[in-house]
Amino acid sequence: MRILVIEDEAPLREQLSQQLRAAGYAVDSAADGSSGQYMGEEYPIDLAVVDLGLPDRDGVGIIRYWRERGRRFPVLILTARGRWQDKVTGLDAGADDYLVKPFQIEELLARLKALLRRAEGWTRSVLECPPVALDTASQQVTVHGQPVELTAYEYRLLEYLMLHAGQVVSKTELSEHLYEEDADRDSNVLEVLVGRLRRKLDPQRTLNPIDTLRGRGYCFRLARSQG
Amino acid sequence: MGLRLRRFWRSILPSLQARLLTGAGVVLLAFLGLTGLSLEQGFRYSALEAVEQRLQAQVYMLLGTAEPEADGSRVRLPEVLPEARLSSPLSGLYAGVLDEQGEMIWQSRSLLGLVAPTPTTPPILGEPLFTSIKDAAGNDLFLLSLRVDWETAPEQYHRFTFWVAEEPAGFNEQLASYRRSLWGWLLGSGVLLLVAQSLILRWSLQPLRRAERQVAEIQAGRRSQLSGPFPRELEALADGLNGLLRQRQQHLERYRNALGDLAHSLKTPLAVLRGALNPAGPELPEVVREQVERMNRTVDYQLQRAAASGRDFLARPLPVAPLAGKVVDALAKVYHAKGLTIALELEPGLQFQGDEGDLMEILGNLADNACKWGRRRVSLRGHREGDCWRLEVQDDGPGIPPDQRSRILERGGRADSATAGHGIGLAVVRDLVEEAYGGSLEIGDAPGGGALIRVSLPLAG
Repeated sequence: MRILVIEDEAPLREQLSQQLRAAGYAVDSAADGSSGQYMGEEYPIDLAVVDLGLPDRDGVGIIRYWRERGRRFPVLILTARGRWQDKVTGLDAGADDYLVKPFQIEELLARLKALLRRAEGWTRSVLECPPVALDTASQQVTVHGQPVELTAYEYRLLEYLMLHAGQVVSKTELSEHLYEEDADRDSNVLEVLVGRLRRKLDPQRTLNPIDTLRGRGYCFRLARSQG
Repeated sequence: MGLRLRRFWRSILPSLQARLLTGAGVVLLAFLGLTGLSLEQGFRYSALEAVEQRLQAQVYMLLGTAEPEADGSRVRLPEVLPEARLSSPLSGLYAGVLDEQGEMIWQSRSLLGLVAPTPTTPPILGEPLFTSIKDAAGNDLFLLSLRVDWETAPEQYHRFTFWVAEEPAGFNEQLASYRRSLWGWLLGSGVLLLVAQSLILRWSLQPLRRAERQVAEIQAGRRSQLSGPFPRELEALADGLNGLLRQRQQHLERYRNALGDLAHSLKTPLAVLRGALNPAGPELPEVVREQVERMNRTVDYQLQRAAASGRDFLARPLPVAPLAGKVVDALAKVYHAKGLTIALELEPGLQFQGDEGDLMEILGNLADNACKWGRRRVSLRGHREGDCWRLEVQDDGPGIPPDQRSRILERGGRADSATAGHGIGLAVVRDLVEEAYGGSLEIGDAPGGGALIRVSLPLAG
């Protein structure tokens, strides 16, 4: 999952990026409104965290700009003022949630996960495609109730595929959403990861949870148990 | 003493118009009264003079027709005198002649059956004396008498006193009718002048009334400045008021911006500090976290309180429904995952006299608390009640135990972690509602067991 952070205060921006990366997200960050607005429009991001008090551009204006151009990814606004007028204006412009500074990183992560799930139509924190279940809060994966140990990258890959369960996800999309803009992307790494994931989830090769569609990408084919 | 008098005047003369009219009325009354008195005096004087001349003419007529005896003991006058009233009894005009000893030697026939008055003898020979005497019955009479030395025979002089007296009935009648018409006219013109005066006043005070109307419109939010033209005397006042309005607006904006900047500059470092605490070691960070938390709550509380602008009588009354709708939409988005039903029931036409941000603050904090604690249903209701409007926000959560209610509303919002959600929001709303708008906030129980927050606010207008 790729997250855009627009925050003009360097220490907070760096701290946020670091903490989000530690939580397993790919992070793009912008120090000012105009480059942030550009990234949100051009990069394949899954969510944006926007500070409303930017020096050059109004955060609300940026959100409105994206929405007018059909960019539908969830947006979480950060506000220092905590005035309801700011919050309501931001949400009205197209943001999906807000946090008042200062906030706890756990709170931010919980909100981000909820927004990402919601964007793909999941309402609960556990993604269930029986017999596979992925708990986004504890980052635990189980098959038939048995825990499966995954590396951070394997988890991120599975989470992305399960969030988009039933949809075809291309390799380009996967690498764009799992890696940051300037990361070194190698599609062979993805194939190796998918292979390892298949073996861990389905050692007996009875479930076949991930389809490979030649030339098009991958599809998590187990059906969702909830809306 | 002076103050009491001033207060007295203010209480009986509350308006400029009343003052001016009363003042003009008093001056007019005094002027017309004095005019009337002096005119009456003048008329009376000239009427008296006319009476004197008439009587003098009668006396000379008597002198002309009288023929004294040579010994001076008698005077002969013709039976029929040129003045008919002297010959007809009780005519009101009487005459007589006295000899040297003051004995009546002739009296007119009009005195028939009456006791002749005793005339005053004029002190100077040949000079008529006009005076007023009482007759035997005590009635007033005008009297003119003249003492003459008459040569009845060569070198033989006799002294006679001729007198004519007239009852004042005619004179009084004349005076009374003059008085009637004089005061009638004066009264008429007084009324006319007062009417004219009040019309002039109304006309001159019109710009004031226009200014008053415009201020009322500014208050109702239909106008932002006074617009002339106003007379010179009001121009300065209107300009001053406009300047004040502009200044106030600018001041308010500057103040808001400064507060926002302050919040921003304090909160970002706090956010960094809080973030930095996360991965660090055990002992120290807990204390630091607590203090950061506390600083943050204090900053939050004070900033929200300070930014409340309060009841603004010059502000446009705000319709409540659109803003409440926005707040509910925003919260529906934020609490999407909870699957809450948020009901909004507002009586149509509800208005809020005050700052938009303040109303958002009240609605946002109350609704947010309800959403935070509610399980399935949250409702916002607003309706009029007398000269207030009442906002009721209700949830179906755990409710607020009675023993915690006063602590939650405590000044400074010192809410602990158990009530953090309800704490600061409710304290801020309480302060805003009670201190800035003169309303009230109470915490109660919702029928289903959740919390019910009731806010009363003064109606717009």
